[in-house]
Amino acid sequence: MDLSGGGRRADLVGLLARLVLGVVLLVSGGLKVTSPAVSARAVRAFQILPYDFAGYVGYALPVVEILIGLLLIMGLLTRASAAVGGLLMLAFLVGIISAWMRGLSIDCGCFGGGGTIGAAETQYGIDVLRDAGLVACAAWLVVRPRTAFSLDHRLFG
Amino acid sequence: MRPDASKKLAAVTPKKGPNPVIIGAVVAVVVILAVVVAILVGRPDSSGTAGNSTPVGVTGGKGGGIFVNSDTAKSNAPTLDVYEDFQCPGCAQLEAKVGAELTSLAKAGAVKLVVHTLSFLDDNLKNDSSSRSANAAACAADAGKFLEYHGAVFAAQPPKEQEGVGYTDAQLTEFAKTAGITGAPLTTWQKCSDSGQYDQYVTDVQDASSRAKINNTPTVKLNGQDVTQTVQTPEALAAAVKAATK
Repeated sequence: MDLSGGGRRADLVGLLARLVLGVVLLVSGGLKVTSPAVSARAVRAFQILPYDFAGYVGYALPVVEILIGLLLIMGLLTRASAAVGGLLMLAFLVGIISAWMRGLSIDCGCFGGGGTIGAAETQYGIDVLRDAGLVACAAWLVVRPRTAFSLDHRLFG
Repeated sequence: MRPDASKKLAAVTPKKGPNPVIIGAVVAVVVILAVVVAILVGRPDSSGTAGNSTPVGVTGGKGGGIFVNSDTAKSNAPTLDVYEDFQCPGCAQLEAKVGAELTSLAKAGAVKLVVHTLSFLDDNLKNDSSSRSANAAACAADAGKFLEYHGAVFAAQPPKEQEGVGYTDAQLTEFAKTAGITGAPLTTWQKCSDSGQYDQYVTDVQDASSRAKINNTPTVKLNGQDVTQTVQTPEALAAAVKAATK
Protein backbone atom coordinates (compact mmCIF):
# COMPACT_ATOMS: atom_id res chain seq x y z
CA MET A 1 0.00 0.00 0.00
CA ASP A 2 1.17 3.46 -0.83
CA LEU A 3 1.86 5.06 2.49
CA SER A 4 2.71 8.51 1.16
CA GLY A 5 0.24 11.14 2.40
CA GLY A 6 -1.89 11.75 -0.71
CA GLY A 7 -2.52 8.12 -1.66
CA ARG A 8 -3.24 7.11 1.91
CA ARG A 9 -5.74 9.94 2.31
CA ALA A 10 -7.43 9.04 -0.98
CA ASP A 11 -7.72 5.44 0.25
CA LEU A 12 -9.53 6.71 3.33
CA VAL A 13 -11.89 8.84 1.24
CA GLY A 14 -12.57 5.71 -0.79
CA LEU A 15 -13.25 3.77 2.41
CA LEU A 16 -15.76 6.41 3.48
CA ALA A 17 -17.46 6.40 0.06
CA ARG A 18 -17.59 2.60 0.12
CA LEU A 19 -19.08 2.42 3.60
CA VAL A 20 -21.65 5.19 3.03
CA LEU A 21 -22.94 3.68 -0.21
CA GLY A 22 -22.72 0.14 1.15
CA VAL A 23 -24.53 0.82 4.43
CA VAL A 24 -27.30 2.81 2.72
CA LEU A 25 -27.85 0.01 0.21
CA LEU A 26 -27.78 -2.69 2.90
CA VAL A 27 -30.21 -0.83 5.17
CA SER A 28 -32.65 0.15 2.41
CA GLY A 29 -32.65 -3.38 1.01
CA GLY A 30 -33.07 -4.90 4.46
CA LEU A 31 -36.05 -2.70 5.25
CA LYS A 32 -37.80 -3.73 2.05
CA VAL A 33 -36.88 -7.39 1.60
CA THR A 34 -39.53 -8.72 3.99
CA SER A 35 -42.40 -6.96 2.18
CA PRO A 36 -42.05 -7.76 -1.52
CA ALA A 37 -45.64 -6.70 -2.26
CA VAL A 38 -45.05 -3.24 -0.79
CA SER A 39 -41.81 -2.92 -2.74
CA ALA A 40 -43.60 -3.90 -5.96
CA ARG A 41 -46.29 -1.29 -5.33
CA ALA A 42 -43.67 1.38 -4.62
CA VAL A 43 -42.07 0.72 -8.02
CA ARG A 44 -45.46 0.74 -9.76
CA ALA A 45 -46.34 4.08 -8.14
CA PHE A 46 -43.65 5.73 -10.31
CA GLN A 47 -45.76 4.78 -13.35
CA ILE A 48 -42.69 4.33 -15.51
CA LEU A 49 -42.38 0.58 -16.07
CA PRO A 50 -45.18 -1.69 -17.33
CA TYR A 51 -47.28 -3.16 -14.49
CA ASP A 52 -45.90 -6.72 -14.44
CA PHE A 53 -42.28 -5.75 -15.08
CA ALA A 54 -42.48 -3.12 -12.34
CA GLY A 55 -43.57 -5.90 -10.00
CA TYR A 56 -40.51 -8.03 -10.83
CA VAL A 57 -38.25 -5.03 -10.31
CA GLY A 58 -39.90 -4.48 -6.93
CA TYR A 59 -39.29 -8.08 -5.86
CA ALA A 60 -35.68 -8.15 -7.05
CA LEU A 61 -34.51 -4.71 -5.97
CA PRO A 62 -34.16 -5.29 -2.18
CA VAL A 63 -32.09 -8.44 -2.76
CA VAL A 64 -29.78 -6.70 -5.20
CA GLU A 65 -29.38 -3.78 -2.81
CA ILE A 66 -28.46 -6.07 0.08
CA LEU A 67 -25.89 -8.04 -1.93
CA ILE A 68 -24.25 -4.97 -3.48
CA GLY A 69 -24.29 -3.31 -0.05
CA LEU A 70 -22.49 -6.30 1.50
CA LEU A 71 -19.89 -6.39 -1.29
CA LEU A 72 -19.16 -2.68 -0.81
CA ILE A 73 -18.90 -2.96 2.96
CA MET A 74 -16.45 -5.85 2.57
CA GLY A 75 -14.63 -4.05 -0.21
CA LEU A 76 -14.90 -7.05 -2.51
CA LEU A 77 -15.02 -6.38 -6.27
CA THR A 78 -15.27 -2.72 -5.34
CA ARG A 79 -15.23 -1.22 -8.83
CA ALA A 80 -17.91 -3.54 -10.23
CA SER A 81 -20.10 -3.27 -7.10
CA ALA A 82 -19.82 0.51 -7.08
CA ALA A 83 -20.71 0.60 -10.78
CA VAL A 84 -23.88 -1.45 -10.15
CA GLY A 85 -24.74 0.55 -7.03
CA GLY A 86 -24.13 3.82 -8.88
CA LEU A 87 -26.32 2.76 -11.81
CA LEU A 88 -29.07 1.83 -9.33
CA MET A 89 -28.81 5.25 -7.71
CA LEU A 90 -28.85 6.96 -11.10
CA ALA A 91 -32.00 5.02 -12.01
CA PHE A 92 -33.63 6.05 -8.71
CA LEU A 93 -32.58 9.64 -9.33
CA VAL A 94 -34.12 9.65 -12.80
CA GLY A 95 -37.29 8.03 -11.44
CA ILE A 96 -37.67 10.51 -8.60
CA ILE A 97 -37.02 13.57 -10.78
CA SER A 98 -39.42 12.20 -13.39
CA ALA A 99 -42.14 11.66 -10.75
CA TRP A 100 -41.49 15.15 -9.41
CA MET A 101 -41.74 16.75 -12.86
CA ARG A 102 -44.91 14.82 -13.73
CA GLY A 103 -46.49 16.15 -10.54
CA LEU A 104 -47.05 12.73 -8.95
CA SER A 105 -47.51 12.71 -5.18
CA ILE A 106 -45.60 9.61 -4.20
CA ASP A 107 -43.23 8.42 -1.52
CA CYS A 108 -40.11 7.12 -3.28
CA GLY A 109 -40.27 3.96 -1.16
CA CYS A 110 -36.49 4.19 -0.89
CA PHE A 111 -36.49 2.78 2.64
CA GLY A 112 -39.71 0.78 2.56
CA GLY A 113 -43.25 2.06 2.27
CA GLY A 114 -43.94 3.94 -0.92
CA GLY A 115 -46.96 4.65 -3.03
CA THR A 116 -49.27 7.63 -3.22
CA ILE A 117 -49.17 10.19 -0.41
CA GLY A 118 -50.50 13.69 0.14
CA ALA A 119 -48.97 16.39 -2.05
CA ALA A 120 -47.68 18.21 1.07
CA GLU A 121 -45.91 15.07 2.33
CA THR A 122 -43.64 14.63 -0.69
CA GLN A 123 -39.93 15.22 -0.11
CA TYR A 124 -38.45 14.98 -3.57
CA GLY A 125 -35.73 17.57 -2.82
CA ILE A 126 -34.22 15.54 0.02
CA ASP A 127 -34.47 12.32 -1.98
CA VAL A 128 -32.70 13.90 -4.97
CA LEU A 129 -29.89 15.35 -2.84
CA ARG A 130 -29.33 12.05 -1.02
CA ASP A 131 -29.24 10.02 -4.21
CA ALA A 132 -26.96 12.54 -5.93
CA GLY A 133 -24.54 12.23 -3.01
CA LEU A 134 -24.62 8.46 -3.28
CA VAL A 135 -23.98 8.66 -7.03
CA ALA A 136 -20.90 10.76 -6.20
CA CYS A 137 -19.69 8.05 -3.76
CA ALA A 138 -20.14 5.43 -6.48
CA ALA A 139 -18.38 7.58 -9.09
CA TRP A 140 -15.34 8.00 -6.84
CA LEU A 141 -15.09 4.24 -6.35
CA VAL A 142 -15.45 3.48 -10.05
CA VAL A 143 -12.69 5.94 -10.92
CA ARG A 144 -10.45 4.97 -8.00
CA PRO A 145 -11.53 1.60 -6.57
CA ARG A 146 -8.54 1.26 -4.25
CA THR A 147 -9.69 1.85 -0.67
CA ALA A 148 -8.34 1.29 2.81
CA PHE A 149 -9.18 -1.97 4.62
CA SER A 150 -10.65 -3.69 1.58
CA LEU A 151 -10.97 -7.38 0.89
CA ASP A 152 -9.86 -6.62 -2.66
CA HIS A 153 -6.49 -5.49 -1.32
CA ARG A 154 -6.14 -8.53 0.96
CA LEU A 155 -7.05 -11.04 -1.74
CA PHE A 156 -5.64 -9.60 -4.93
CA GLY A 157 -2.85 -7.37 -3.66
CA MET B 1 23.92 -13.58 -23.63
CA ARG B 2 20.52 -15.16 -23.36
CA PRO B 3 17.51 -12.93 -23.85
CA ASP B 4 15.86 -11.84 -20.63
CA ALA B 5 12.72 -13.95 -20.18
CA SER B 6 11.74 -12.65 -16.76
CA LYS B 7 8.87 -10.54 -18.16
CA LYS B 8 7.45 -13.47 -20.10
CA LEU B 9 7.81 -15.69 -17.05
CA ALA B 10 6.05 -13.19 -14.84
CA ALA B 11 3.19 -13.03 -17.33
CA VAL B 12 2.59 -16.79 -17.33
CA THR B 13 3.27 -17.45 -13.65
CA PRO B 14 -0.02 -17.46 -11.71
CA LYS B 15 -0.29 -14.59 -9.28
CA LYS B 16 -0.59 -15.47 -5.65
CA GLY B 17 -4.06 -15.42 -4.16
CA PRO B 18 -7.43 -16.20 -5.70
CA ASN B 19 -8.37 -15.29 -9.24
CA PRO B 20 -10.58 -12.17 -9.34
CA VAL B 21 -12.37 -13.46 -12.43
CA ILE B 22 -13.48 -16.62 -10.62
CA ILE B 23 -14.61 -14.67 -7.57
CA GLY B 24 -16.44 -12.22 -9.79
CA ALA B 25 -18.19 -15.05 -11.61
CA VAL B 26 -19.21 -16.72 -8.35
CA VAL B 27 -20.60 -13.45 -6.99
CA ALA B 28 -22.47 -12.77 -10.25
CA VAL B 29 -24.05 -16.23 -10.13
CA VAL B 30 -25.10 -15.70 -6.49
CA VAL B 31 -26.67 -12.33 -7.36
CA ILE B 32 -28.56 -13.75 -10.34
CA LEU B 33 -29.82 -16.75 -8.32
CA ALA B 34 -30.94 -14.48 -5.49
CA VAL B 35 -32.85 -12.25 -7.93
CA VAL B 36 -34.62 -15.24 -9.50
CA VAL B 37 -35.55 -16.62 -6.08
CA ALA B 38 -36.78 -13.19 -4.92
CA ILE B 39 -39.03 -12.84 -7.96
CA LEU B 40 -40.41 -16.38 -7.59
CA VAL B 41 -41.08 -15.89 -3.88
CA GLY B 42 -42.48 -12.37 -4.24
CA ARG B 43 -44.73 -13.07 -7.21
CA PRO B 44 -48.33 -13.44 -6.07
CA ASP B 45 -49.78 -16.88 -6.58
CA SER B 46 -52.14 -16.56 -9.52
CA SER B 47 -53.05 -20.24 -9.77
CA GLY B 48 -56.30 -19.54 -7.96
CA THR B 49 -56.50 -22.67 -5.83
CA ALA B 50 -59.06 -21.09 -3.50
CA GLY B 51 -61.69 -21.36 -6.22
CA ASN B 52 -62.86 -18.79 -8.67
CA SER B 53 -66.26 -18.13 -7.16
CA THR B 54 -67.39 -14.53 -6.97
CA PRO B 55 -69.97 -12.98 -4.66
CA VAL B 56 -73.38 -11.75 -5.77
CA GLY B 57 -73.30 -8.46 -7.67
CA VAL B 58 -69.80 -8.48 -9.15
CA THR B 59 -69.67 -6.32 -12.23
CA GLY B 60 -66.99 -5.43 -14.75
CA GLY B 61 -65.26 -8.79 -15.25
CA LYS B 62 -62.45 -10.39 -13.23
CA GLY B 63 -61.70 -8.42 -10.10
CA GLY B 64 -64.63 -6.06 -10.65
CA GLY B 65 -66.39 -4.30 -7.80
CA ILE B 66 -69.68 -5.29 -6.20
CA PHE B 67 -72.72 -3.58 -7.75
CA VAL B 68 -74.49 -2.97 -4.49
CA ASN B 69 -77.93 -1.78 -5.58
CA SER B 70 -78.67 -3.51 -8.89
CA ASP B 71 -82.24 -4.02 -7.64
CA THR B 72 -83.01 -0.33 -7.19
CA ALA B 73 -80.64 1.54 -9.54
CA LYS B 74 -82.40 3.54 -12.23
CA SER B 75 -81.18 3.03 -15.77
CA ASN B 76 -80.19 6.70 -16.20
CA ALA B 77 -78.33 6.83 -12.87
CA PRO B 78 -74.58 7.59 -13.04
CA THR B 79 -72.10 4.93 -11.91
CA LEU B 80 -70.33 5.68 -8.65
CA ASP B 81 -67.23 3.54 -8.11
CA VAL B 82 -65.83 3.58 -4.58
CA TYR B 83 -62.40 2.09 -3.86
CA GLU B 84 -61.77 1.46 -0.17
CA ASP B 85 -59.64 -0.60 2.16
CA PHE B 86 -61.38 -1.56 5.40
CA GLN B 87 -58.23 -0.63 7.33
CA CYS B 88 -57.81 2.80 5.71
CA PRO B 89 -58.50 5.64 8.16
CA GLY B 90 -59.34 8.08 5.36
CA CYS B 91 -61.98 5.64 4.11
CA ALA B 92 -63.60 5.45 7.55
CA GLN B 93 -63.59 9.26 7.69
CA LEU B 94 -65.26 9.50 4.28
CA GLU B 95 -67.80 6.87 5.36
CA ALA B 96 -68.55 8.87 8.51
CA LYS B 97 -69.06 12.02 6.45
CA VAL B 98 -71.02 10.79 3.43
CA GLY B 99 -71.86 7.14 4.19
CA ALA B 100 -75.48 7.83 5.09
CA GLU B 101 -76.03 9.97 1.98
CA LEU B 102 -74.37 7.30 -0.16
CA THR B 103 -76.67 4.65 1.28
CA SER B 104 -79.80 6.72 0.68
CA LEU B 105 -78.71 7.58 -2.89
CA ALA B 106 -78.16 3.87 -3.49
CA LYS B 107 -81.50 2.86 -1.94
CA ALA B 108 -83.28 5.52 -4.03
CA GLY B 109 -81.55 4.20 -7.12
CA ALA B 110 -80.03 7.59 -7.91
CA VAL B 111 -76.60 6.00 -8.46
CA LYS B 112 -75.29 2.68 -9.61
CA LEU B 113 -73.06 2.08 -6.59
CA VAL B 114 -70.08 -0.18 -7.18
CA VAL B 115 -67.76 -0.83 -4.22
CA HIS B 116 -64.23 -2.17 -4.71
CA THR B 117 -62.81 -3.54 -1.45
CA LEU B 118 -59.04 -3.27 -1.65
CA SER B 119 -56.56 -5.11 0.57
CA PHE B 120 -53.16 -3.52 -0.07
CA LEU B 121 -52.92 -2.22 3.51
CA ASP B 122 -52.38 -5.80 4.67
CA ASP B 123 -48.91 -5.57 3.12
CA ASN B 124 -48.18 -2.22 4.75
CA LEU B 125 -49.57 -3.13 8.17
CA LYS B 126 -48.32 -6.72 8.07
CA ASN B 127 -51.64 -8.27 9.02
CA ASP B 128 -54.51 -9.83 7.08
CA SER B 129 -57.46 -7.79 8.34
CA SER B 130 -58.12 -5.97 5.06
CA SER B 131 -58.49 -9.15 3.05
CA ARG B 132 -60.36 -11.00 5.81
CA SER B 133 -62.87 -8.19 6.20
CA ALA B 134 -63.14 -7.79 2.42
CA ASN B 135 -63.90 -11.50 2.14
CA ALA B 136 -66.43 -11.21 4.97
CA ALA B 137 -68.12 -8.26 3.24
CA ALA B 138 -68.29 -10.22 -0.02
CA CYS B 139 -69.98 -13.03 1.94
CA ALA B 140 -72.44 -10.43 3.24
CA ALA B 141 -73.17 -9.44 -0.38
CA ASP B 142 -74.47 -12.98 -0.91
CA ALA B 143 -76.91 -12.32 1.94
CA GLY B 144 -77.93 -9.02 0.34
CA LYS B 145 -76.37 -7.05 3.19
CA PHE B 146 -73.16 -5.71 1.69
CA LEU B 147 -73.70 -2.02 2.44
CA GLU B 148 -74.86 -2.75 5.98
CA TYR B 149 -71.80 -4.91 6.60
CA HIS B 150 -69.54 -2.31 5.00
CA GLY B 151 -70.94 0.36 7.36
CA ALA B 152 -70.52 -1.87 10.42
CA VAL B 153 -66.83 -2.50 9.65
CA PHE B 154 -65.97 1.17 9.22
CA ALA B 155 -67.93 2.11 12.35
CA ALA B 156 -65.69 -0.28 14.33
CA GLN B 157 -62.37 0.68 12.71
CA PRO B 158 -59.67 1.17 15.36
CA PRO B 159 -58.67 4.84 15.85
CA LYS B 160 -55.98 6.16 13.51
CA GLU B 161 -53.21 5.88 16.06
CA GLN B 162 -54.03 2.20 16.40
CA GLU B 163 -53.98 1.57 12.65
CA GLY B 164 -52.90 -2.01 12.13
CA VAL B 165 -54.75 -3.52 15.10
CA GLY B 166 -57.20 -4.91 12.59
CA TYR B 167 -60.30 -7.02 13.16
CA THR B 168 -60.71 -10.29 15.04
CA ASP B 169 -62.86 -13.12 13.70
CA ALA B 170 -65.30 -12.49 16.54
CA GLN B 171 -65.60 -8.86 15.39
CA LEU B 172 -66.28 -9.96 11.80
CA THR B 173 -69.16 -12.10 13.10
CA GLU B 174 -70.37 -9.21 15.25
CA PHE B 175 -70.48 -7.01 12.12
CA ALA B 176 -72.64 -9.62 10.36
CA LYS B 177 -75.14 -9.50 13.21
CA THR B 178 -75.06 -5.68 13.20
CA ALA B 179 -75.71 -5.81 9.46
CA GLY B 180 -78.87 -7.77 10.18
CA ILE B 181 -77.80 -11.19 8.94
CA THR B 182 -79.59 -13.80 11.06
CA GLY B 183 -80.69 -17.45 11.05
CA ALA B 184 -79.70 -19.68 8.12
CA PRO B 185 -78.08 -16.84 6.13
CA LEU B 186 -75.85 -16.16 9.16
CA THR B 187 -74.73 -19.80 9.18
CA THR B 188 -73.97 -19.55 5.46
CA TRP B 189 -72.18 -16.25 5.98
CA GLN B 190 -70.08 -17.72 8.82
CA LYS B 191 -69.00 -20.66 6.68
CA CYS B 192 -68.15 -18.32 3.81
CA SER B 193 -66.17 -15.99 6.07
CA ASP B 194 -64.31 -18.76 7.92
CA SER B 195 -63.33 -20.60 4.74
CA GLY B 196 -62.14 -17.47 2.96
CA GLN B 197 -64.48 -18.37 0.12
CA TYR B 198 -63.79 -15.13 -1.74
CA ASP B 199 -60.10 -14.73 -0.93
CA GLN B 200 -59.19 -15.18 -4.58
CA TYR B 201 -61.84 -12.64 -5.59
CA VAL B 202 -60.42 -10.15 -3.05
CA THR B 203 -56.94 -10.65 -4.52
CA ASP B 204 -58.35 -10.16 -8.03
CA VAL B 205 -60.05 -6.90 -6.99
CA GLN B 206 -56.76 -5.55 -5.64
CA ASP B 207 -54.93 -6.61 -8.77
CA ALA B 208 -57.52 -5.14 -11.14
CA SER B 209 -57.60 -1.86 -9.21
CA SER B 210 -53.81 -1.57 -9.15
CA ARG B 211 -53.72 -2.14 -12.89
CA ALA B 212 -56.34 0.61 -13.22
CA LYS B 213 -53.84 2.86 -11.37
CA ILE B 214 -55.95 3.18 -8.25
CA ASN B 215 -53.02 3.90 -5.94
CA ASN B 216 -54.86 5.72 -3.20
CA THR B 217 -57.83 5.07 -0.95
CA PRO B 218 -60.46 6.26 -0.73
CA THR B 219 -60.94 6.90 -4.43
CA VAL B 220 -64.42 7.85 -5.66
CA LYS B 221 -65.18 7.87 -9.36
CA LEU B 222 -68.37 9.25 -10.85
CA ASN B 223 -68.91 7.90 -14.36
CA GLY B 224 -65.16 7.21 -14.44
CA GLN B 225 -64.13 10.72 -13.29
CA ASP B 226 -62.16 10.97 -10.05
CA VAL B 227 -64.31 13.11 -7.76
CA THR B 228 -62.76 12.07 -4.44
CA GLN B 229 -61.88 15.61 -3.39
CA THR B 230 -65.23 17.16 -4.35
CA VAL B 231 -67.62 14.72 -2.66
CA GLN B 232 -66.47 15.27 0.91
CA THR B 233 -69.88 16.44 2.18
CA PRO B 234 -73.37 14.90 1.71
CA GLU B 235 -74.51 18.03 -0.15
CA ALA B 236 -71.54 18.00 -2.52
CA LEU B 237 -72.05 14.30 -3.17
CA ALA B 238 -75.75 14.76 -3.92
CA ALA B 239 -75.03 17.72 -6.19
CA ALA B 240 -72.31 15.88 -8.11
CA VAL B 241 -74.59 12.89 -8.60
CA LYS B 242 -77.43 15.11 -9.76
CA ALA B 243 -75.17 16.90 -12.23
CA ALA B 244 -74.01 13.58 -13.64
CA THR B 245 -77.53 12.23 -14.09
CA LYS B 246 -78.61 12.42 -17.70
